[in-house]
Amino acid sequence: MRSERRGPWYLLTGLVIGVVIGVLYAWRYPVNYTNTSPAALRADFKDQYRTLIAAAYMANGDLVRAKARLELLKDQDVYRTLSEQAQRTLAEDRYPQEARALGLLAIALGQAPPTIALASPAQTQAASPQATGATLPALTSTPGAPQSGTPASTPTPTRPPATLAPTFTPLPTRTATPTQGAPFILEREEQVCEENIKEPLIQVIVQDAAGQQVPGMQVIITWEGGEERFFTGLKPELGLGYADFTMQPDIAYTLRLASGGQPVLNLIAAECEAADGSRYLGSWRLVFVQP
Amino acid sequence: MSRWFFFFLAIAFGIALGLLYGWVGNPVRYVDTSPDTLSRDYKSDYVLMVAEAYKAESDLAAALRRLALLGNSPPGDIVREATLFAESLGYSDNDVNLMRSLSAALESGAQSPGTPAP
Repeated sequence: MRSERRGPWYLLTGLVIGVVIGVLYAWRYPVNYTNTSPAALRADFKDQYRTLIAAAYMANGDLVRAKARLELLKDQDVYRTLSEQAQRTLAEDRYPQEARALGLLAIALGQAPPTIALASPAQTQAASPQATGATLPALTSTPGAPQSGTPASTPTPTRPPATLAPTFTPLPTRTATPTQGAPFILEREEQVCEENIKEPLIQVIVQDAAGQQVPGMQVIITWEGGEERFFTGLKPELGLGYADFTMQPDIAYTLRLASGGQPVLNLIAAECEAADGSRYLGSWRLVFVQP
Repeated sequence: MSRWFFFFLAIAFGIALGLLYGWVGNPVRYVDTSPDTLSRDYKSDYVLMVAEAYKAESDLAAALRRLALLGNSPPGDIVREATLFAESLGYSDNDVNLMRSLSAALESGAQSPGTPAP
């Protein structure tokens, strides 16, 4: 009778003791982080990893290898992540060479059609502020898209396949390197009234003497109390020498190329008239050419 | 006697439940780790990247800054170990040579601090 009154509490007690033993064991032998993959890195370490990938890419020009390494980080949108990091690094102004390397790698990836597809305009709305055209289509990597020469990543840590020596890829940055020579001059400055551009932009197009668009040119925009730097070519679908910046109303901007040349003063978002008579803020298009 | 048996059985069941939860239901997911926890093959590739960048930049300080993420061991040791592992994995001669060059640069840099990297 007495034991029946106790009921099954002893079982619960045993269970609790078991759980306590398990927890104590876990605390006595805590998880030791070893054999992790780059995908598990903290965000700032991932940034540094990406920077190193870009620096190595600048050295060896092997885009296949760079892509294989970037895949290890398992970024959802490699192109955008690289572009945004390039802009961030540029804004920090500590390591301009690294910013440039990141930007050029992003451009090279943007030029690689097999892994890139156009995103829907809705996706584009999630783009970063300021130096991105929120109304313009952006590039995203296609999940699961076949990648020539780059085997799918596996959970097991494996040496990036592209480290195999014979897979040298012609250096895409050969075309992404800004032309050396005379400074660029402003050939054309025009107001753009296009209703499909939802926000007023400063659109910059840089061309060399041969009329080819030049990626990787650093553009500096200043206004009262602020400055922004960005590169051409980070929206390759709009041209390798293209870059844009979203203007705020009633703010006067000054734009110049970091490589030198005359600054363009007093750029203010001006009103345009729509077909239905309504008014909206237009954009500016600046075309720089090398004489 | 049978009460004790079931008592210990409950403990064992509790441990099993805990392990099942910890290993299957909600296993440890490695997030926010640092580069020094990377597995050896990733570390080797990381060192190779440092070596590739060093070849182009000749910036020993930058190489040291990057290698410092791989732990507190002397950079020369990190590169040496990574090079040996890379050789065992069958990295190309070119890649291994790059890593050896970095190792040599680190050694010469360590012997004469302040000397510009080659």
